[in-house]
Amino acid sequence: MESVTQERPSTPVPIRSEAVPDSNPEPTPKTSGPMAWFTHWSIERRVLAGFGLVFAGIVVISAVSYRNTAVLIENSRLDTKSHELIQLLGSVGEALDAAESGHRRYLVTGDESYLKSYRTVVEQMPEYLRYLRGLTNEGPEQQARVPTLEQLIARQLGAEAEAIAQRKEHGYEAVRHLALSGAAKKELEGIHRLMTEFDSAEQRVLHARVAQSAGSMKNTIVLLGLGAVLQLILLASVYFLIHHDVTERRRVATELQRRGELLEAANKELEAFSYSVSHDLRAPLRHIDGYAALLSKAAGEALNDKARRYLQTISDSAKQMGQLIDDLLVFSRMGRQDMLRTTINLDQLVKTVLHDLRLDLQGRTISWTMHPLPNVSGDPAMLRQVFLNLISNALKFTATKAETKIEIGSVSRNFGEAEVFVRDNGVGFDMQYVNKLFGVFQRLHRTDEFEGTGIGLANVRRIIHRHGGRTWAEGAPNQGATFYFSLPLARSLR
Amino acid sequence: MTTVKPILLAEDNPRDAELALAAMEEHHIADKVVVCHDGAEALDYLYCRGNFATRQQGNPVVVFLDLKMPKVDGLEVLRTIKNDVNLKPIPVVMLTSSREERDLAQSYALGANAYVVKPVEFHQFITAVKELGIFWGVINEPPPEGSDPIK
Repeated sequence: MESVTQERPSTPVPIRSEAVPDSNPEPTPKTSGPMAWFTHWSIERRVLAGFGLVFAGIVVISAVSYRNTAVLIENSRLDTKSHELIQLLGSVGEALDAAESGHRRYLVTGDESYLKSYRTVVEQMPEYLRYLRGLTNEGPEQQARVPTLEQLIARQLGAEAEAIAQRKEHGYEAVRHLALSGAAKKELEGIHRLMTEFDSAEQRVLHARVAQSAGSMKNTIVLLGLGAVLQLILLASVYFLIHHDVTERRRVATELQRRGELLEAANKELEAFSYSVSHDLRAPLRHIDGYAALLSKAAGEALNDKARRYLQTISDSAKQMGQLIDDLLVFSRMGRQDMLRTTINLDQLVKTVLHDLRLDLQGRTISWTMHPLPNVSGDPAMLRQVFLNLISNALKFTATKAETKIEIGSVSRNFGEAEVFVRDNGVGFDMQYVNKLFGVFQRLHRTDEFEGTGIGLANVRRIIHRHGGRTWAEGAPNQGATFYFSLPLARSLR
Repeated sequence: MTTVKPILLAEDNPRDAELALAAMEEHHIADKVVVCHDGAEALDYLYCRGNFATRQQGNPVVVFLDLKMPKVDGLEVLRTIKNDVNLKPIPVVMLTSSREERDLAQSYALGANAYVVKPVEFHQFITAVKELGIFWGVINEPPPEGSDPIK
């Protein structure tokens, strides 16, 4: 009769350890080496890092390209200036030559029309020189030559002006020696020499600049090409990562679906089983009890006390098994039934349960200690069953005591979780059997001491587990028992 | 000859049928009970065909239906009765072992008039069957023969 001594394979493992889920169920791949940190990154982090690198690459390439292009534009501006300078020098040289030959012709002929180009030069020279200064203001080497050139030109034009004036006043003879070689032959030669210097210096700078531009252009092209290749590699890696992840997810989803289908099939089978238990197993019991009753009625007078007791035992056993089946069905239904999630006022719930138990409370002297209970989140009907079972137990196992004390309260140790307890001063239990308390059909007392099927606490545990909570108990023989369970608090309280 | 309207009991299990009859016997209504052993036989009775082709015309005062029966099950019989204009007025009481919500819901959805779970305990069973027999067979006023509320 003592079911405590029976070992059942389905006995749950100790309450505490069962309730704590494995914190890290997935084995993490162990890798060593410099890439170890990378393998620990989540897929999101890796993809983000990949895109980050691509972005950084784009920024660097853009910056370098911008700089190179700016250099090219600047060089092309300077090139234009150089070409203008070279052209200007040519024009100035030609103009000075024309002025020189013009003034010599005048010196010989006295014909003023030959002075036209000289006068034009004199007139335009300040403009030419201003232009020249503007074109050379960015090169110190060339800039240094400008004053010398200005001086030489001034001296040439000055000498020529003097010769023209003498011709006008004193006639051809006065300037005869000048008419053949020109008034400023030396200066003109100096000017041409300086202009050649100017020209070759500018050509040198121009060539250097062209080389620089070409180099810069080449760099840019190489950089852009290299950057494009790198970006492609990075994007391909990111694509590979995402593709890998998506494939993996798809695989897991398929696997989950397959398992879900298996589970559903198993659940259906279980449902069919429990239906069959509900319907078919009860019929023979009804017949045993029924025919025992009919027999007792038909032959009751003829039977002796012993035979009547046997009949009664047959009848009682059938009823007991009927009760067991009913309890088992409730247990099975608690596991399958869809769960509601609402906010429950536990104080109110306990009041309802005590009202339902009022028949059991009749004729009992009980001192209740009720502490305020929190609002929790859960299924009202299921939690009602929990309190009904725990309070019924407390009443049942205190029935032999002269004074019954029952205490209901809660402690809140963990955030977002309430721990509720039901304490009695009843017969209690030995802590070495604590693991058997919540098992199906596990009883710590003989049936002739306390009746019951051993399903109540198993139901409590199943309901609490479905709510995501834990169950445990403390007690000592003849010193009462305390049953605890934890529940998630209602969301508004978190 | 005064016609005593019969009670139709569709019960595949002979022991359950015997126990039910024993219960009704206590109130002397057992002689009114016609026992059918599956759904098909119950339908034959209701439609006066097969073995019941020659029976006296008229609907039973009440039908007690077991849910799980061979050939045609209780729910099927219930559906046939409630979809037939002539049979519809007959009160139908589901008398079954099943307490499953699904069975309860389906039975009421199909128009069952009552749903009784057979208790395991014989005394309760006897009380239940007796009370059912008395209520539906004696106390309850059956619909008038050939009545059709739609007309």
